[in-house]
Amino acid sequence: MNSSIRLLRARSVWKGPFIVPLPIAQAIKNKTPIRTKARNCTIIPQFVGVKFEIHNGKDFVELEVTDDMVGSKLGDFAPTRKKFMYKYSKN
Amino acid sequence: MGVVVFGKSIKHNFSVKVGLAKTIFGIGYDTAERLMAKVKIYPQCKMNQLTEPQIMDLNREISQLLVEGHLKQKINNDIKLKKDIGSIAGMRHYYGFPVRGQRTCTNASTARRLNKVNRYRL
Repeated sequence: MNSSIRLLRARSVWKGPFIVPLPIAQAIKNKTPIRTKARNCTIIPQFVGVKFEIHNGKDFVELEVTDDMVGSKLGDFAPTRKKFMYKYSKN
Repeated sequence: MGVVVFGKSIKHNFSVKVGLAKTIFGIGYDTAERLMAKVKIYPQCKMNQLTEPQIMDLNREISQLLVEGHLKQKINNDIKLKKDIGSIAGMRHYYGFPVRGQRTCTNASTARRLNKVNRYRL
């Protein structure tokens, strides 16, 4: 698929993808994860290979961006809800 | 009695638009209308009134679209990709829950029916 279409999704061309300023260059140089709360930031091709720590409302979820993730949001990879598990009581 | 279009038998008393939309996966009323205009079939035409060259033309036009098995394969692959990269939408498909924030306490029957990693069996 065309990469520009994948980035924009339903957004108009003149707006471009929604991006939050993040210290990417620094992260690539030091190889440290970027700790962020910006779940609504679009993953652009420059993010590939960078490690993130994304807030899920409680703590930070680790993520290493791969090629297929380009175009989705950072928050897509940090679930905000726990899966329901039934706890057996002793008696 | 049926008329065979794109390897599928369609009832002879259907109108062409409805017949195409109802039998071929990936073609709706809109696409069917556009196809008919392209092949020069009049809108109220019935299935049994189609001539041999018209059916050939329809087959040729439909084969250029993404329909049937190829479309199903694409949908399966898209869901699988979402699951493989570990996104929330992919996991919701895997568990058979609605993806876009609908309620799950009740209802959600469409999601239970459709949301699987392998949605269509091929």
